[in-house]
Amino acid sequence: MMDTILEVSDLSKSFANFNLNHVNFSLKEGCITGFIGINGSGKTTTIKTILGLILKDTGSITFLGKELADHERELKNRIGVVLDDGYFYEEMTLKEMKSVIAPAYTNWDDAIFQSYMNKFKLQVNQKISTLSKGMRMKYAIALALSHHADLLIMDEPTSGLDPLVRSELMDILLDFMKEEGKSVFFSTHITSDLDRIADMLILIDKGNILFNEEKDQLLETHAIVKGDTRLLNEQTRKLFLTLRETTYGFEGITHDIHIVRQHMKDVVIEKPTIEQIMLAHIGGHQHVN
Amino acid sequence: MLISLVRKDLLIVKKYLLLMFIFAIVGPIFISSELKFLNGSFIGFLITVLFLEYIIFNSVSMAEDKYKGSALLCTTPYTRDAVVRAKYLFVLVIFIISLITYTLTASVTPLGLERLNITNVGISLLTLSFFFGVLIPVQFKFGYEKTKMFFFFVVFLTPFIFPTIVQWLQSHNLEMSIMLPLPHIIQVCLLYLISLLITFISMLLSKQIYAKKNL
Repeated sequence: MMDTILEVSDLSKSFANFNLNHVNFSLKEGCITGFIGINGSGKTTTIKTILGLILKDTGSITFLGKELADHERELKNRIGVVLDDGYFYEEMTLKEMKSVIAPAYTNWDDAIFQSYMNKFKLQVNQKISTLSKGMRMKYAIALALSHHADLLIMDEPTSGLDPLVRSELMDILLDFMKEEGKSVFFSTHITSDLDRIADMLILIDKGNILFNEEKDQLLETHAIVKGDTRLLNEQTRKLFLTLRETTYGFEGITHDIHIVRQHMKDVVIEKPTIEQIMLAHIGGHQHVN
Repeated sequence: MLISLVRKDLLIVKKYLLLMFIFAIVGPIFISSELKFLNGSFIGFLITVLFLEYIIFNSVSMAEDKYKGSALLCTTPYTRDAVVRAKYLFVLVIFIISLITYTLTASVTPLGLERLNITNVGISLLTLSFFFGVLIPVQFKFGYEKTKMFFFFVVFLTPFIFPTIVQWLQSHNLEMSIMLPLPHIIQVCLLYLISLLITFISMLLSKQIYAKKNL
């Protein structure tokens, strides 16, 4: 049984046009957890609330068993953060920005930072404003991982990146995970990034957590089912999250493939992608009900 | 930790620092030569330091507003409290640099700049404490964009209002010793104590405002 590294309990936050509703989930040590959802679903709000950038209305956020808000300095020493927009002072050079961030951490390791800079081919005297989106993300990772963080939290790190850089990022994360006791929590709406690397998946929609499960478990229980519409009745329809019917037949996504296999013979069963599972849960296609 | 945050603010305005340094030298000389009354050098220093602090502080605020760098800092072990305290320390650091620059200029140049006494420094600190004691919490509350015009006009009017007030006080032979029947040294100490008190209250207010802000 893996230890819980971060626990979010009953987290709520109300805005004029959006609410986080009693969000509960936990992150396991040694896992890469993908935090998925469409744009505006509450991913960034949740991450910012965890980091204390947005103030929660209710709830508790514990990291390594301690309330994060009460032990901020101690616990943030063990968290690395990559934010969507970078939030860097663009006029500074990479070296200058590092000189601002590094003193915040008691265990900053300049040798690690230098090795990341070399690995990512980043020039310390380059201005941040001149970095490409991909280079900026790599620089943010170098800053986030140079103080021996146990948990890396990333908000939409792959957004706006080309497939090659996204693939490089996945390798960087896998590399980081090689060390014992490390965990990654990253939000994305590009779910294909998670196919290769995620262990756990948490889906959020309209501020509500819809599921928090192991990726393999999700892929095993969900399936795309195709068949003749005559197979559909009141009972079998309930087995589907989404269902599209045409004169030629039906196509739906089920979250209970074993029951489907028992009750519906002569159907074609295909493996869904994470994106298809996500859309099925949030009703991105035509819904059964 | 605070020093790193002050250094961060200095890095943000690094391209203006040389210009500001020249202004710190030339400003008091120019203003005092225009003011033909007693204590012109001190008024020159006070107006210069107020302008200089305002320009530098606002340049930092503008960059913070544009890049939202404080949000990133607050994800690190730098706390919101430290971010607030560093703002006040930054104002003090700029004041000390300005004071040293003025003192060196007054000592070296034969342009008739008088060296500042402990009372002058106290009045300067009190003025800055009052101005930034209001500006910093207001800016934390409403942001740079909403407040920049108001404080710009306040600073812009200072060179016109301040010498007039001083001239009026001098022409009516009013001094603090007349207004307050206390020994001179106590009066000087009061200047520093009131500055400290204003800064302390302002900092508490800023901390409370910033602690409730969504970044």
